[in-house]
Amino acid sequence: MILLAKAALGLSGALVVAGAYTFHEGVIRVDVDEFRPGGSHVHLWVPAATVPMAMHFVPKHPLCDAAQPAQEFLPVAHALFKELKKFPDTEFVEVNDDEQHVRIRTHGEKLQIDVDAPDEKVHLLVPLGALDDMVGQLEDSEPRA
Amino acid sequence: MSYSNRGFHGKTAMVTAMALLLFPAGVVAQGTAAPAKAARSTSSAPAEKGERWLHVRVICAEGKGDTVRVNVPLELAEKVLPAVNHDRLHNGKVRIDSSDVDDVDLRALMDAIRTAKEGEYVTVQGNDNDVRVAKEGNQLTVHVLDKSGSKKSQVEVKIPMKVMEALLSAGKDELDLVAALHALGAQGDMELVSLKDSENTVKVWLDSKNVAN
Repeated sequence: MILLAKAALGLSGALVVAGAYTFHEGVIRVDVDEFRPGGSHVHLWVPAATVPMAMHFVPKHPLCDAAQPAQEFLPVAHALFKELKKFPDTEFVEVNDDEQHVRIRTHGEKLQIDVDAPDEKVHLLVPLGALDDMVGQLEDSEPRA
Repeated sequence: MSYSNRGFHGKTAMVTAMALLLFPAGVVAQGTAAPAKAARSTSSAPAEKGERWLHVRVICAEGKGDTVRVNVPLELAEKVLPAVNHDRLHNGKVRIDSSDVDDVDLRALMDAIRTAKEGEYVTVQGNDNDVRVAKEGNQLTVHVLDKSGSKKSQVEVKIPMKVMEALLSAGKDELDLVAALHALGAQGDMELVSLKDSENTVKVWLDSKNVAN
């Protein structure tokens, strides 16, 4: 009985620690709805800590290919995400017109991008730390000169 | 220890161990979240002391009043700009060709304005336009009123002299944007650009709030 209790305690302890680690950086949330025939509907909740982790398992070559076109902008993105963490929650860009509403803001150390248009809705919530990690890894995967 | 007591103690030990296990996680979570929360204000609160924000607001009178609002902390722009290396922008400096300014020596022109006394330099009052260029309160003010046609428009640009000096502080044929932003950050709350016509209202201003009211 005690042995079982200890095993259960160990297992639940490990689960709690793993869960706490997985979610300590928050959750990446992606919601895309295209309102047209055959349009895609993507609703994704991913623990932010798993993405940089998963990027370690991506073969170097495809990652390098992906980073190549963005090479010029990676230092900008890196500087931006690093600096954004230092500022209070802010609405950086807001565009409103008859049909569309675009909003880019930071909220609780997360970057939030919302696009509401008649033909599509896109909502993105990504922790700045995770973005910074991802950009850092893409920078590291660039071929050295 | 009776069998029933052993069960009770086992459960108590398990609950205590679980609580202890969860407690540090909670403390760690709070420990990391609390300073972050303290350091970050809410979106509607004024920004931290010393932060300077550049705001751009465009309101279109037509339709349902389309609006564009941009709020940028100057410090962020100062840090990010040097990382941009694209076209003529490198390390926070823009390269200008002499052909872009029609062989006008910007530095000499700037120097002349800087050392000149305050006053109205250019005043044009015509049927189509009124133009006024003046140096007042250590800033250069350009005011244009377009009266031609049915749609009147009015533009006012104010550039602090310190900002203009910083902008031209880089080498020849270069504009130092980062230095200009830094100099702009030292200015008090002010309206930099204001444009009004029958269709649009554009306003660019500087203050220490992270919201554009």
